[in-house]
Order: sequence, then structure tokens, then C-alpha cells
Amino acid sequence: MDNKTVETISYLARLKLDKDKKEKITKDLENIIDFVAELQDLNTEDIVPLSNPLEKVAPKREDIVTSKSRKEAFLSSSPESDQDYFMVPKVVE
Amino acid sequence: MSWETVIGLEVHAQLSTNTKLFSSASTKFGSEPNSQVDLVDLGLPGVLPVVNKDAFKKAIRFGLAIEADINQESTFDRKNYFYPDLPKGYQITQMTKPIVEGGSIDIDVDGDKKTINITRAHLEEDAGKSIHDAYPDKSVIDLNRAGTPLLEIVSEPEISSAKEAVSYMKALHQLVTFLDVCDGDMSQGSLRCDANVSIRKVGDAELGTRTEIKNINSFRFIEKAINFEIKRQIKVLESGEKVTQETRLYDSGKDETRPMRSKEFANDYRYFPDPDLLPVVISDDEMEEIRSTFPELPADKSRRYISEFQIDESEAEIISSSRELSNFFEVAVESKNDPKLAANLIVGEIGSLLNKDNIKIDESKLSSDNFNILLQRISDGTISKKIAKTILAEIWETGRNADEIINDQGLVQIQDENLLEEVITKVIESNTKQVEDYKNGKDKLFGFFVGQVMKETQGKANPQAVNDLLKKALNS
Repeated sequence: MDNKTVETISYLARLKLDKDKKEKITKDLENIIDFVAELQDLNTEDIVPLSNPLEKVAPKREDIVTSKSRKEAFLSSSPESDQDYFMVPKVVE
Repeated sequence: MSWETVIGLEVHAQLSTNTKLFSSASTKFGSEPNSQVDLVDLGLPGVLPVVNKDAFKKAIRFGLAIEADINQESTFDRKNYFYPDLPKGYQITQMTKPIVEGGSIDIDVDGDKKTINITRAHLEEDAGKSIHDAYPDKSVIDLNRAGTPLLEIVSEPEISSAKEAVSYMKALHQLVTFLDVCDGDMSQGSLRCDANVSIRKVGDAELGTRTEIKNINSFRFIEKAINFEIKRQIKVLESGEKVTQETRLYDSGKDETRPMRSKEFANDYRYFPDPDLLPVVISDDEMEEIRSTFPELPADKSRRYISEFQIDESEAEIISSSRELSNFFEVAVESKNDPKLAANLIVGEIGSLLNKDNIKIDESKLSSDNFNILLQRISDGTISKKIAKTILAEIWETGRNADEIINDQGLVQIQDENLLEEVITKVIESNTKQVEDYKNGKDKLFGFFVGQVMKETQGKANPQAVNDLLKKALNS
């Protein structure tokens, strides 16, 4: 786990890390990776990948509209809005 | 040097469900901003997504139509990235186990058939909409679209020109609208496409570096954007440089593609299984139900129309290509009307009225019942086919009952032989020169006399009766 990887990961997660934090997190991440790496020794040939540990399947919903507009409540709980929209810093693409 | 183009398309079809993929908020287009947003769409803590049964049904119906494999157990993954119109910070998609894998679509390029293989079609949720020009220093977000179900249809890189890409897109458009999987309205973004374009020397085994053109939303722009990109890449390669792998946007105003703002880091979506969603299992019974309601596809319909009703191949193809038109035609035929006559009017007169207004038949004022009346009046000789066109035009404007129009405007066909003989005598008397020429062997003039009689009767004369009576009069 080198410095550059930690910087990339923190950028992707939009986390700003100071120098002390970065060092601590690098160690933490290394420990986690070492811990999980033990699994690499297991032979997983012929084992179907498991996407969920619960032995259940997803319930399905009928395609009927039941949700009502809560526009005002939602807009007013955001940091900034006008009467119709959520407002965010200018995004230029 | 000669170059060849390799294109793969990723098409996003918005599924025509009532509610979102994971919430029971409405997906209706054009509603008041942020009025169709649920707690789940906002990604508020403590809420759980629940899958929409109908979205799966539609995805499977598409899969069956392209003869793909259906994964009766499929799973959802998270694709992580930050953008203001993606409230959760990740998009739920199907990376590892998509609902549909494989299959193919036949396209027609200038009369030649080609088969394009499909890699996969998976379910995912749409993002919200960002609006950048409402305020000088702010962007605003409408989340009505966030969570709308999309079927992303990924083709193999087997498309070799902009023209083929358009044919593929048209074939896909016809199929998804016919299956009632997607409304196909490209201007509302219901069907949009990303094109992966690369160039290589003819004969090279390896693919060249590709660029991805994002979010093209019309047939015309697909052709223009791809053609621009092909020319641009050839120019880059021929000048000895390399094509950069990047995402580009098509600017229809300038007719060019240009790179999207280059990212500091390459995209890294860090996909992982969504722990909020269990595997979705479609039972054999559910599969059977979907199969049993599977509609007859255009090609099968067309063949059946030709063999069962003996209608023209070109007419059969046009009618069967649209779900609305074929329904309309089938209702008319089930009501014991003459299939050839019905097909003829639907493709001819009604077709041009539909084109003129750019609408579908069920959006017009012509009801099936009224069309039945019109067909019956032609068959029973009350009106001529020519008059039927006048009546159709009137129905198109007003939606009035065909019988009412016939009665009010006195359009009943003239069958009365005495009346017709009177008109014929008048025509013969006022065209003595033509009568002489006709009698001297200019047979073609017969049509002229028919025309004159029709003119005198404002098109109301029964054509068969006119033919018989004219012959008798002219040959006497």
C-alpha cells in the first residue's frame, strides 16, 4: 500500500487526509489487506461466487405508483435550493 | 492506406414502467421538477431498494425477442462515482450477472442483411438531470428521472460504418417499441446511445484504440457524430500520431466531437455487489407467464398477413412494423372487413395523414369503429374509394362519424343508371372530337371519358357502373 494508492483512493472517496491521517490510514489499510489476503490461500475452484450471505431472494414489487410528492420537505432539507430545484456549485463539463 | 472502422454501441432504453426500478415513485415525463422523488431515490439513510417486477418482465421480453440467454438469477452491483445528479454516490447496475446475455439483432443496410451480436443487456437506474444554465454561478438538479429503469443494451464491436450504426439503432428502436419495452421517444431521451469507435488497418487482427462518444440522441446525429469521429481518427493516425482513449461529446451545432474535460485520474468505479439487494430470481412459472404474453414479432406478423390475407408484401411490412398500426389493421379484419382494402387505406391514405401530423394511429381522431363503418360503406357500394379519401380527411380533422359525413355532404355513390346515362350523354355531346378519335381506334381515350363523368358527379359515380355504361354508349 504505497502513498500514491492511498492518495488515489482518498481522491475517489473525496476524503482530504492530512499527513498524520494518511500514515495511520496506510497502516490500517495494509492490515486489512493482509487479513483478507489469507483467503487467497483457499482453493475456491468449483465454488459458485456468493453475492449475498443470506439464503433468500429479493422480494419483487408490483409496478404501481404509491409514492407522493414531498418536494418541499426534500428541497428545504438540502443546503441550498430554489422553489423547484436542488442547488449545487456550478458543474462544468 | 486503407482503414476499416469498428463500432460497438451501448444503447440505453428507458423502460416504460409506471414506477422506478427500486422505488414506487412515478416515472412520468415532464412533471413538475423534483415532484417524483422517493426516499429511496434520494438515498437517505435507512431505506432499502425493492425491485420493480415489471422492469424485469420487460427486460426478459426483450431478451426473448433477440433469442438471448435469460439469467433467471441475476444480481445488482454498485458503480461508484461522484456527480451531483447521483444522490447516493453510486449507480445500481448489473455488472457481474446481467438479466440478459447473448442474442442478436438483424439489420438491413441498403437491402443487405447483417446480424449484429449482442453481448448483454442489463438493468440499471438512471441518474437525475443537471441544469447548468439556470443561474450564472450554480447548477441545479431535478431528481425526477433518478432511479428510472434503464435497459443498457451492449452490442459486440461488429458494426462497420455510421450507416450500419443507424440501421442497428433503427432496428432496435422498432423492436423495443413493438415489444412495449420502451416508448422510443428519442427527443425525451427514452432511447440514447454511446458509440465506441476505433479504426484499424484493413487486415489487422487487433482493434485500434477506441474513443467513446456519449449520449447521442437522434438517428441523424449518430451518423454525423460517427462519421466525424472516423475522419478525425484517420487524420490522427495518418499524421503518425496515436488516438487517445477518451470520452468525447458530439456538438450538433458545430458538427464535431470534442473530448470531455480530461480527468485527473482515470475512472475507477470500484464495482462491488450491492449489499442492499438480494439476488433476483425469476421462477419458471414467471418465465412461462412472460412467454405466454409474448407478442407476435413484426417479421412473423408480416408473413402471416401475406399468407392469410393475401395483402401486398410491402403493405404487410409497413403495417406489421408498428404495434399500433397492426392492432388497428387486425381489429378491422376481425370485424369482417376486406383485408386488402383495409391494408390499402392504412398504408396509403392513413399513412400519409399520420406522416403529415407525425403521430401514431391511436393518437389520431380516427377510431377503429369509425374505420369499420368507412370500410363497410366502400364494400357495400355506398361510396367510392375516391370519396373515402375525402371522408378520411374530414374524420382526421373532426373525428365525426363516417355515416354522418356521407349523409350530410351527400356523398352517397351514384348507382342510378338513368342518372349516370344522363351524365354520360352530356359528356359525349360536349366532347365530339374525342368521341370521333376514340371510334377511330384511340382506345386510351376511354380513361378520359371516365374522368369526365367522375368530374361531373364530383367523384360520386360508381366506377364499375360508369365503365359498363360508357362502353355501351361509346360503342353504339
